[in-house]
Amino acid sequence: MLTIRENLQETMKGGNPDRFVKQFEFLEIIYESPLPPLAMKPGENVTDAWGIYWQWPKEQLGPFPVHDDEHIVLKDINNWKDYVHVPKVDYPKEAWEPALAHANKVNKEERFFSVFYVPGLFEMCHHLMGIENALMGFYDAPERMHELIAFLAKHELNVAEQIIEHLHPNALFHHDDWGSQYSTFLAPEMFRTFFLEPYKKIYSYWKQNGAELVVHHSDSFAATLVPDMIEMGIDIWQGVMSSNNTPELIKQYGSQITFMGDIDSGPVDTVDWTKEKLYEYFEKSCRRCGKLHFIPNLTQGGDYSSFPGVYEAANNAIDQMSKKMF
Amino acid sequence: MIDLKTLTEVIIKGDQASAVNMTKEALAEGIGAESILNDGLIAGMDVVGDRFSKNEIYIPEMLIAARAMKSALEILEPELAKAGVKPIGKMAIGTVQGDLHDIGKNLVAMMLKGAGFEVVDLGVDVKPEKFVEKIKETGVQLVGLSALLTTTMPGMEKTIKVLKEAGLSVKIMVGGAPVTQEYADKIGANGYAADAASAVDVAKRLVA
Repeated sequence: MLTIRENLQETMKGGNPDRFVKQFEFLEIIYESPLPPLAMKPGENVTDAWGIYWQWPKEQLGPFPVHDDEHIVLKDINNWKDYVHVPKVDYPKEAWEPALAHANKVNKEERFFSVFYVPGLFEMCHHLMGIENALMGFYDAPERMHELIAFLAKHELNVAEQIIEHLHPNALFHHDDWGSQYSTFLAPEMFRTFFLEPYKKIYSYWKQNGAELVVHHSDSFAATLVPDMIEMGIDIWQGVMSSNNTPELIKQYGSQITFMGDIDSGPVDTVDWTKEKLYEYFEKSCRRCGKLHFIPNLTQGGDYSSFPGVYEAANNAIDQMSKKMF
Repeated sequence: MIDLKTLTEVIIKGDQASAVNMTKEALAEGIGAESILNDGLIAGMDVVGDRFSKNEIYIPEMLIAARAMKSALEILEPELAKAGVKPIGKMAIGTVQGDLHDIGKNLVAMMLKGAGFEVVDLGVDVKPEKFVEKIKETGVQLVGLSALLTTTMPGMEKTIKVLKEAGLSVKIMVGGAPVTQEYADKIGANGYAADAASAVDVAKRLVA
């Protein structure tokens, strides 16, 4: 039986995997890292290090930035420098110890490990200024948006330097949602104009400094951005929603990038989830996407589910499909 | 003489300044406010909605078009009121309790305003009781409920139940990423829209 790492590599390169990769089994996510900083619990309201105010209603799945007049950080893109101030990145050695202790337990021959890097460049733009202002900003003030993104990218590189220095991860798991279920937020040309080069710099920095794998999360439609993903150095696109026509993407781009997802979390990761429905979704997905360049996975961005038991049951569903199809 | 087709193009392009200037000029030239609204502004937003549905344009283009429309409409509104032109419908819209997402709701509100509706935006995290209060206060005939999360979708069913128990005779339409026609039917909504552009057609049908 291939090791986890070997099986992943065979899946990615289109070789001879002996089973499906089971969701995030190849990647240990180190949540204890002090960077990037945001720790919240349901029911909390928190102002983060950028000054962004987050609310997390109880019994809801996650926090959300608030952009009313009182809380919005970046009020005027034309004077963004007056509003955007980077948080500190130099944490003392002691702050890294929990993350380092966790990372040291990972068998690096067998698996990869990474921090959970969130939010990415596009999300930072709209977290700072509100999504409507950000989206209109690309038209209203393109030069200022370029400046802002370059500033945020420089910050990402500074954070990356710290993470690499302290933890030496061999992978990067990076989160930046680029669309909704059926569309990207930006036209592909606009996305390319603003985000391709900054992301190329960021992902190549990580790869030059020890990351063998870049896993990018966007649980959305983003099929039209796949050529850019490849160019910026993404190895695995995690969160591929079924609206992307994953089999077609695998056919067209599988030799260059691996697709991880295709089982939309929305319909199956619910309070009244059933094993039968989950297994049905995983069977359909595995059969339509095939064994190569594809990792069956709930589209949520992490090694967990919103409702207890779903992630583990998904792993069992994949085991079943491996028995059926390999 | 202002050509209303040019005004339409200006709306489609999202040229806010030109939309305002051309609207002012059209009024000064004696073109009727209702004609400017229907043949200039709404005609432009109809094209925007159609192109968005087909993925020919994206949210930024829709937003700048809606902004141009809104600014031009502000110039027109006093004239429309003088001429006795009424909105084609009146709608209250909000994201349901527990849900803070607003972009979808905002896009629907913009498109409906662009189509000639009067829209009362209740914001996000709206309790069912607030919907009741605002419906009674504003006399809207249509209510739009938005939810982006599977965990907040039940808020739609709860809101519909509360509205019915309050004896309000409003039509209710729902939408949002996890929402489907099947779900809309199950919870007793009168209409469902998959996106902001089709929301206009659904809303028009429900107020007809």
